[in-house]
Amino acid sequence: MKLSADTYKIQQDFSHFIRTGKAVRIPGVNPAAMAHYRRLVYNVVKDALETGYPIAFANLPRRKWDSMVYNFFSTHACTAYQVWKLPLDFYTCAVENSWEERYDIPYLPDLLSFEWAEMELYNMEDVAPPAYLPEGDWLLDTIVFNPEQRLLHLKYPVHQETCRRKLLQQAGAYFVLVYRMPDTGDIHFTGLSPWLAFVVEQLLAGITLTDILEYAPQLNIVVNNNLQGDTIAFLQHLQEKQVVLGFIKH
Amino acid sequence: MVGIGFRRDFAEALLSSDQIRPDFIEFAPENWMDIGGYWKKQLRKAVEKYPVLCHGLSLSIGSPEPLNLDFLRYVKSFLAEYQVQLYSEHLSYSKCDNAHMYDLLPIPFRKDAVVHIAERIQQVQDYLQRPLVMEIVSYYTPVAAEMSEVDFIREIVKASGCQLLLDVNNIYVNAFNHGYNAQEFISQLPLEQVAYIHMAGHEQVAPDLIIDTHGQPIIDPVYDLFEWTIQRLQPVPVLLERDYNIPQLAELNGELQRLKNICHSHWQQQYETVG
Repeated sequence: MKLSADTYKIQQDFSHFIRTGKAVRIPGVNPAAMAHYRRLVYNVVKDALETGYPIAFANLPRRKWDSMVYNFFSTHACTAYQVWKLPLDFYTCAVENSWEERYDIPYLPDLLSFEWAEMELYNMEDVAPPAYLPEGDWLLDTIVFNPEQRLLHLKYPVHQETCRRKLLQQAGAYFVLVYRMPDTGDIHFTGLSPWLAFVVEQLLAGITLTDILEYAPQLNIVVNNNLQGDTIAFLQHLQEKQVVLGFIKH
Repeated sequence: MVGIGFRRDFAEALLSSDQIRPDFIEFAPENWMDIGGYWKKQLRKAVEKYPVLCHGLSLSIGSPEPLNLDFLRYVKSFLAEYQVQLYSEHLSYSKCDNAHMYDLLPIPFRKDAVVHIAERIQQVQDYLQRPLVMEIVSYYTPVAAEMSEVDFIREIVKASGCQLLLDVNNIYVNAFNHGYNAQEFISQLPLEQVAYIHMAGHEQVAPDLIIDTHGQPIIDPVYDLFEWTIQRLQPVPVLLERDYNIPQLAELNGELQRLKNICHSHWQQQYETVG
């Protein structure tokens, strides 16, 4: 590096002010003009987070939200060079620093996880599925899913509720499948029962439905014709929604 | 050739109507890298319809820390994938202590910064196998300067061999904010290295400060400076930047047309010679 230690320090001081807003003296710098840099940068960060987390921004207490944004930008070195990925840095910062405890928002990690999944899926690169047939045997064939999906495991039902009191009352185990529609690029999600979440997880791993049903009694699940029929009906529903794309014959 | 920044706000109109008729489009690779779904499809359509120039945001050529080689790899493959004709970036920094700051921060005008930046520009040019076109950025305060802005730019160009993106609005803004004469400043630049021009609007936020917002129409004094400037240049692409407060498309097209008329009146002879 050809920069002198002095120039390096000046750049560090300037950027430290941009991130924290804490006064710093740098030769030749007009403090009033420097404050505009801070304002402009901070607006970019705030806008990106408000856009990325619209539910959190609209429903968390403003005082807590503002404090989170300030702490995030002043202490976390943002790794994303793309502004649309800035919310992932925010989510990472929240998890690493246990903000659910610090800000007394137990459902915060779930909420950020859910909203980031929507954002990531909306923007993510196209992923080509393996070659598949449109028709096949639900029980015996490998079922091919739209690869542009995420299966989330949540403790709070942040996908269907925004009221803090109700969220805290309904703590439990929730499963949500978030996916991108192949033709429009729109993002949809659907809630899953624990059984269907297990099925989807196993199918995504390439296990056949027959093998999953054979394993089910080990999970204390009673397998009967109803369970098998309901599971296949659910998968057919996913096929209509283009979440299940087709089959690979064995 | 007068183009416009490709923005999602008016992408549909650019793709499927004649409300606005640029000769090319420009976008930031960072806003479109790793993108899929609906917007990837729109980008593909745009690239099929218009020639493409790219204007980067995150290279951070003035950063103290080493260049991000993974990022450069992305840029190289992106430029190849979309057959990008020209790649420009900013003479500023946007990252320090490995933290991105998402804006263009002013570099101290100093000799050691000249050497540091020229070396990095050469590194990027060697890697991308194309010239880097560096924009003279607007800035709101000098930072521990030990040399003049124009000397700083001239020395970087000389040492690195880079080309220049002359944002005429930036020069107007800087001349106002720092009390110098814009025409004199431009006259002192190595104008033979200018490969691209940007035009935009700005906002005066204090009696002594203009912010380069890209959120207002271009004002007449900036058009005048543009007209004065292009008479001293060979024809180069000209871009209309509008990032905020997007107006009716007829208004944007009016700005495009005005820029085209000015280019046509002064560069017509060169156009015909080239033709």
